[in-house]
Amino acid sequence: MPSLKELLQNVFSKGQNPFTGAYVHNRMRPPGAVDEKHFMALCIRCNRCLEVCPYGSIKRAGLGLTMGTPYVLAEQKACYLCMACSRLCPTGALDNELVAPEKAAMGRAVIDSSLCYSHLFLDHDVLPDQTGRQIGALCNTCYNVCPLQDNAIVLRKNLCPEILDACVGCGICVERCPTRPRRAVNIVPTGMGRVDEAGFYFRKAKGHHESAQSPAQSPAGVLKGEQLLKQKSRIEGTKELPKFDFPYETPKKIEGWD
Amino acid sequence: MGMMRFYRRAVQFGVLLFVFLVPVLNLFEIYAVTGTLYAVNIGGLGITDPVVVLQAVFASGRLTVLLLGAALFPVLFALIFGRVWCGWMCPYHLLADGAAGIRRFFGERVLRRPFKKALPVESSFKANAVRFSFLLFGTAMAGAISIPVLNYVHAPGIFSTEAMIFVKERSLSPEFLFIAALLLVEVTVLPRFWCRLFCPTGSFLSLFRAPFTMTVTNKVKAAKSPCCTENHCSAACPMGLAPFREGGNLLCTNCAECLHVCPQSRLGFGGFGSK
Repeated sequence: MPSLKELLQNVFSKGQNPFTGAYVHNRMRPPGAVDEKHFMALCIRCNRCLEVCPYGSIKRAGLGLTMGTPYVLAEQKACYLCMACSRLCPTGALDNELVAPEKAAMGRAVIDSSLCYSHLFLDHDVLPDQTGRQIGALCNTCYNVCPLQDNAIVLRKNLCPEILDACVGCGICVERCPTRPRRAVNIVPTGMGRVDEAGFYFRKAKGHHESAQSPAQSPAGVLKGEQLLKQKSRIEGTKELPKFDFPYETPKKIEGWD
Repeated sequence: MGMMRFYRRAVQFGVLLFVFLVPVLNLFEIYAVTGTLYAVNIGGLGITDPVVVLQAVFASGRLTVLLLGAALFPVLFALIFGRVWCGWMCPYHLLADGAAGIRRFFGERVLRRPFKKALPVESSFKANAVRFSFLLFGTAMAGAISIPVLNYVHAPGIFSTEAMIFVKERSLSPEFLFIAALLLVEVTVLPRFWCRLFCPTGSFLSLFRAPFTMTVTNKVKAAKSPCCTENHCSAACPMGLAPFREGGNLLCTNCAECLHVCPQSRLGFGGFGSK
């Protein structure tokens, strides 16, 4: 049983207060949505997009001015770009002409290099932390699940995921990203230009991320960055195998086996 | 019970069934009928509530063919049949009928007091003034803050949305409390106050009226005072009208409750160019 103070803190903390438009990370409008100001004017809360969504990706907003409007909450269920919702909108809040998934400008994914396993491993050479858990690894889940693979997301040097401008912000990479509690890849939604609407990752997308990309301190003698990549690239499977001396001769023919 | 009331109940329960059937069909991936009572699409025919379209036009500042075309069907329907959406189809009106029935039951059976029509706004002119002011205020607000605010108080739309959420997710959203609060007020304080004094959809639909629109007409013209001493028709009218002379009032929903109570059968539907 929480105390009254805790209860009030829970109710009025950011994200739970129904009277403030608290920003929820990785929350986009459905594909084809007009910009946020016009969307709020045109959306009549008929929830038809929510009804036709075969994946159950579209959710209704709760109490507040946006009450009843559709959102895609990528951390719960991302948009799989089937484009069933946009042509059904009765008022044009979603563009009815939109059928091509690669034009669904819902947002743009941004990789947080201070959380992404691949970035941590390759750029910052993060070794096992104090608890002994290996937090740097070659993960690349986002690359594998992307529906616009090699257009919206590429692997830099075949190892490290980087997101390009073709990204439509469907959020499948966010849904599948293994880092917790915060995802290493996040969506900056389209049309929510203000920082308090789009959140922390909007600033990251604008390029204020020098501090986050500064290489982490690694112990002396450990290869990092380019050197590590160079060392790894030396390992090749096409070289000649080293010759070993066998201490015995292999018999050419075993008697009685014919 | 007149046959008209039987037909009316059949249509009302049919719409109620429709509201629950659409999300069930959508669960089975049949998308021939989609939407809620804000806007439905029946086999490609888009039907949107005109007051919703009105707000979207004011809020967005855009007047598109898409918006106007969606409201065309209900406007034509209202021009021919009058405000039958409210009296014959609206699921909230069915709930309000139930609330009035509960109130009447408690007044007459439990409290042993004759049910008094507790309407502080007795005159239909004042009731019309209140609801058109509410509609005007809501539309102006929608234009001012660019958000269709009247959708937050759109009782049939909220009801059908709750039905959809209930079918899909077995839960209810907080807007359910709005419907519950309205019904509580209807039972305890003022019956039919929402439909009669506030509902923006009903107000806007009642504006579409032409000489050929179906209306309740009295066969004895120029009746200023009640034609009989009992005045059954005024007691039966859910909207608090006096049907013997106010059949053409903007409040009338053509619900036909007054037709069969008239002892002389003087009331009937006119219109369709029959005048």
